[in-house]
Amino acid sequence: MAFRLEKEKTTSTPFVLIDEEKKYMKLEGRSFNENVAEFFKEVNDWLDGYLTSNFGTFTFDCAISYFNSSTTKLLLNMLLKMDSHASKEKKIVVNWLTTEDNEIMVECGEDFRDDLNNLQFNLIIK
Amino acid sequence: MSFNVQLYNKMLTDNNVEVVYSGPIWSSGIDGMAEMLLKRLEYEDIPLNASQSVFSVFVEQMNNMLMYSAERHFLTNLDGTQISSSKGIYILGVKEGAYFIQTGNVVTSSNAEILRARIDFLNTLDKKELRQYYKQQLIAGNDNPVSKGAGIGLIEIARRASEPIKYEIDKLDNGSLYFTMHVIIKQGGKQ
Repeated sequence: MAFRLEKEKTTSTPFVLIDEEKKYMKLEGRSFNENVAEFFKEVNDWLDGYLTSNFGTFTFDCAISYFNSSTTKLLLNMLLKMDSHASKEKKIVVNWLTTEDNEIMVECGEDFRDDLNNLQFNLIIK
Repeated sequence: MSFNVQLYNKMLTDNNVEVVYSGPIWSSGIDGMAEMLLKRLEYEDIPLNASQSVFSVFVEQMNNMLMYSAERHFLTNLDGTQISSSKGIYILGVKEGAYFIQTGNVVTSSNAEILRARIDFLNTLDKKELRQYYKQQLIAGNDNPVSKGAGIGLIEIARRASEPIKYEIDKLDNGSLYFTMHVIIKQGGKQ
């Protein structure tokens, strides 16, 4: 059965949706929990397996409005992992969704984009 | 004589201090304080850049205290499980239109030296250099063996601060070291 994970957002942890059937993942809200590695463990564990499968096209919408430095590092590692698996046969689309006045997220998106070569990184500023 | 609250209040007012917290710091406790700060920033009509910067400095400073305070205690939950907490002080104020966040906690001498070296170095970098250094450190990994976090919180603080980070390391009567940090964020955003 296709994996599905849905976590409601809290003050310091984001909304998480993984819908394997739809080949889709979404993060939304704020992420600054001190124990961010533990929070994202389930997501990372799933990704490790999923990325080795022949998924075709996978989409990740990242609509986080604020994250702390620990989350930044974790997310960059997640994106680098995706990037290492992305290819012609395994297309990965990352939509980095933010707003023009959110300078932290815009700059971070720009910086991340520079390091990602194989996946399609769309910086979408509204 | 009991603690003089009226005098304390005068000291706070005279020094433009608006919020003070002193006591245990633990993960979900930070969430509570964060909610209060977010609400406050929402009520104040300031650019998102400035409120994000204030919030970001708050988060990183609280996380730093949680990780590095040398005064640690265990808090016991109702179900008997224990969580680690640190002791520290957090102060938020507004002076001449600029926010300031001050924190204070006891540190070990080795952490005091790490903090001194790092902050002194970060204060030599401009915003562009800080952005590059931040990214470099994200990729390079963690160079601080005692750090449980990403070790890049201080760079983030320096990026959001409008002025160089001020800090002091004082020796207490009992010989331990007290670290205080003072970060200013102007409402117009970054310089």
